Amino acid sequence: MNEAIGPSMAVVMKDLRLAWRDRAGWASAGAFATIAVLVYSFAFDLATGDIRPLLPGVLWTTFLFAGIFAGGQSFARESEEGTFDALLLSPVSPTMVYLGKAAANIIAMLVIEFLQLGLATILFDTNLVSLELLVIVFLGTVGSVSLTTLLSTMSASMRGRAMLLPVMALPLLVPLLIGAVRATGASLNLEVGAAPWTLLLAVAALWSAALSVLLFPIAVER
Amino acid sequence: MTTARIEAPILQTLALTKRYGGLDVVRQVAIALPAGSRTALVGANGAGKTTLLAMLSTLVTPSEGDATIVGHSLKARPAALRRAIGVLAHAPMLYEEMTPLENLGFFARLYGVAQPEPRIEELLRAVGVWNRRHEATSVLSRGYHQRLALARALLHRPAILLADEPETGLDPEGVEMLDELALRAPGLTVLAATHRVDRVEAWATGVVRLEHGRVVEDTASIAVARQGAPA
Repeated sequence: MNEAIGPSMAVVMKDLRLAWRDRAGWASAGAFATIAVLVYSFAFDLATGDIRPLLPGVLWTTFLFAGIFAGGQSFARESEEGTFDALLLSPVSPTMVYLGKAAANIIAMLVIEFLQLGLATILFDTNLVSLELLVIVFLGTVGSVSLTTLLSTMSASMRGRAMLLPVMALPLLVPLLIGAVRATGASLNLEVGAAPWTLLLAVAALWSAALSVLLFPIAVER
Repeated sequence: MTTARIEAPILQTLALTKRYGGLDVVRQVAIALPAGSRTALVGANGAGKTTLLAMLSTLVTPSEGDATIVGHSLKARPAALRRAIGVLAHAPMLYEEMTPLENLGFFARLYGVAQPEPRIEELLRAVGVWNRRHEATSVLSRGYHQRLALARALLHRPAILLADEPETGLDPEGVEMLDELALRAPGLTVLAATHRVDRVEAWATGVVRLEHGRVVEDTASIAVARQGAPA
């Protein structure tokens, strides 16, 4: 078991170490998310209206673009430095490499998102730090980052990858986003219908993660 | 150079072909290298040397044919095959923001190297990077990158070293070190693409020459490859 997980953990630790050393990618994503939440807070009139119906959209738009922005860089750098080939040359299966890279991206993204939830709680004067919402954010992040990690592999060596990644990712993420936004609304006691949105989100996240795990070895084949 | 060999091949290719858009970049390559041999892969630019090495290292999937390295098939057991090879490619394939120590430590974990610390120290001392082991790899020169890349390629004690222009960026001292650790290391089988024809005599026991993806000269293989028999 350790032999199987060990290489993935090595990739996770390596990616988190690199993310910390060269903070440009993830710091930019964090800065983008912070600015987006700040701008939204100025745009809405907190004194006169109930802004809770807007919050799910605010949060997931911010999380989605921050994730695409940062996630795209994780493979781009590996591709530029040729280190991705070194990963593929090792006896570790491509699937384990993928799991390691996706896990590192998910961890980094969750840090940004949880910080934004805290900031949004203050700025929107609404409690966004609840166990239910944290679970929803976790599920949505696993689903979206799994897919963007896969797609960033495919676009890493292409020209115009910064534009290509969102163009490929956004249509595929629509079902997951609908589930995430609705489930977030339900956690804020908004009227979102009777559908089990958190369950649907979990299914979409699982589908996205499983599909990415299966497709990754094919995506890296030359 | 020697041509008479009686050993079984440690590396054998069977009609290995790579086709891109109808163009055969590597065509029906059949070679069989004995254990401990040191083979120079020569040919003009575009002859297919790098593609052949990329196929043997499992980075590129063959369009036709197969290869076995230490008995492991390229198609059937790629992970076992990768454990048996060390690859010194054109790019050093190192993480610039990590130190030499961290780079080798990471790859040691990927390869499951037992007791990695003494092995890493041994290699870093051998390639002359030990005194700079705590510096970011990005501040090291091209030559040091290549030395470190050699250490990475040899870290897990591979049976075969596949190298693409291994002398790139190395000063005379570095080339000497490359010869000692890899190209003329006892027991290590080497297949190295090179344009340094002047140096081939110094280290190679045989030559495979490619032209337009085909083998046109082979003084390295044992007879089994020419007969096209499986290993």
